[in-house]
Amino acid sequence: MEVIKAKDLVKTYSDNGIDVHAVQHIDLSINEGEFTAIVGPSGCGKTTLLNILGGIDEPSSGSVVIGGTEITELKDNELIDFRLNNIGYVFQAYNLIPVLTAFENTEFIMLMQKWPKEKREKRANELLEKVGLSDKVHKRPGKLSGGQQQRVAVARALASKPKFVLADEPTANLDSSATKQLLDIMYQLNQEEKITFVFATHDQRVMDRAKRIIKLDDGKIIEDIKVD
Amino acid sequence: MLIKIAWRNIWRNKTRSLVVIGSIIVGVWALLAGTGFMNGFMVSYSADMIEHDISNLQVHHPDFKTDFDIKYYLPDAIEKAEELRVWPGVSGVTTRMISNGMVSSPQKAGAVQIRGIDPENEAIVTGIDSMLIEGTYFEDVKRNPVIIGSKMAENLKVKLRSKIVLTFTDGNGDVTAGAFRIVGIIKSSSISINELYAFVKQEDITRLFGINGEAHELAILTEKQFDEDLILNKYQAEYPNDKIESWREIAPELEFMQEMYANMLYILMAIIMIALIFGIVNTMLMAVLERSKELGILMAIGLNKMRVYFMIVIETIFLALIGAPIGLAIGALNISLYMEKGVDLSNYSEGLEAFGYSSILYPYLEASVYPIVTIAVFITAIIAALYPAYKAIKLKPVEAIHSI
Repeated sequence: MEVIKAKDLVKTYSDNGIDVHAVQHIDLSINEGEFTAIVGPSGCGKTTLLNILGGIDEPSSGSVVIGGTEITELKDNELIDFRLNNIGYVFQAYNLIPVLTAFENTEFIMLMQKWPKEKREKRANELLEKVGLSDKVHKRPGKLSGGQQQRVAVARALASKPKFVLADEPTANLDSSATKQLLDIMYQLNQEEKITFVFATHDQRVMDRAKRIIKLDDGKIIEDIKVD
Repeated sequence: MLIKIAWRNIWRNKTRSLVVIGSIIVGVWALLAGTGFMNGFMVSYSADMIEHDISNLQVHHPDFKTDFDIKYYLPDAIEKAEELRVWPGVSGVTTRMISNGMVSSPQKAGAVQIRGIDPENEAIVTGIDSMLIEGTYFEDVKRNPVIIGSKMAENLKVKLRSKIVLTFTDGNGDVTAGAFRIVGIIKSSSISINELYAFVKQEDITRLFGINGEAHELAILTEKQFDEDLILNKYQAEYPNDKIESWREIAPELEFMQEMYANMLYILMAIIMIALIFGIVNTMLMAVLERSKELGILMAIGLNKMRVYFMIVIETIFLALIGAPIGLAIGALNISLYMEKGVDLSNYSEGLEAFGYSSILYPYLEASVYPIVTIAVFITAIIAALYPAYKAIKLKPVEAIHSI
């Protein structure tokens, strides 16, 4: 089943008066349960494409349909609500809320969705256990390692039971062991719970685990490979 | 959760938050102290004027105050005074003969208001005997003793026991004069008492006026907290041909000053609150810009703009919630401490007394000022939060996330 469908996406922005074509006429479909990596050299448009697919950035033209909703047509606040209820994000620099504990960071999204307290606490604890942090629930991000913070970010991204998770260079700041641990967790979630993951990365370790690799160059898809 | 985040956020940069909280504390304290002192000036000035000069109520012949012609005396003034003394709420009544004239010493001359007083009752009503800084209260000198203010003595270049001549128009319209010996010099915060009045015994002046057993003025001092209008209405009903006035009519400038000082609270409040707004806006703007990446993330993961706005406003309100009660407590403590013992401004007494103020100031605040100030601080905090909160919701998640 198609989770994301992007049609003729174009993103052009101006940098010091020079037009930069970050994304050029991309058509793309992501199906449920995929473990996809969008790869390519720096500046090829991976992050821009990911941000557009996730409704964080607007395309100059083209459309993105997620679960039947054309998100490129939504107004600001509708888009925020849509993101809250449908998309999970994992960012390169973890980007947890520094004043909240691991548990509170995970619980935060559910709170915004107005989940009842008991249900919220149960899911936050379950997710933190899944990412191997049940002993760090009351630690704030500043007291966690990079790998641990990124695992909290994964737990947070999954908290709202999103249709898919977008991860922008999630391993860029992690060492090999933390990277392996994180990828194992995400892969396991993908395999066991059929959660769709889309990565923007140039990390070979991520590419090695991906089941589909979309290569970008100059804002265009130059290769789309399914890995068995 | 937003409240929790907002609370924790304000402690992320303790120094900055404490500076804002400190400025709120100082602002609230300054507002209370400033208002308390201004009120203190006003209350003590009004009280001094009423208790030592004009009294709560005065009764005259309806035409007397037009040009202070001595022929317009109050009929049966002595009997009326006797009657008034037993009225409820009246703490003292005195009678006065009054004439405007000239005073001269061997060196100088000037304008004077001659006040022929009943020393015993005058002391009850105005406490004039307590204002003596030199000499006695009509003792020692049997014939024509006079008490004058320190400023008049200075102007006339006279001292205790000096002789002065009072010149005025008598009951027949003839200019007459009498020599008086200074038995006492008084000092008061009232400019009139210090510079203008010459107090003589009623019996001495009536002889010179050629009018006997009457008075131009009845001065009535009421008990504190007693509604003077009750006495005013009762007197007017009983003696419709006399003109009775309250201190508000006698000295309308006092009421005007009281209103003006009451408005000063709002002016001072506006100045301090505007200064606070700038301080808070600056701090919250820094906090927003510093956290733009984090705010971008929050919006990216689903925190809507309304909630972001609310979070920034709550952070500001928290700053006010901490600062305002401390400022209020310090201000209230400050006022209550000095309300009892007063602030000694004797170093500036000459300047203050020149304007009719006492050198000991008793700050005073109405209880209603505290809730007004509290509300004002919270309104200020909310106003100050609007712009930073607006800047926060105007952030574009994609730009904010990739900001440094």
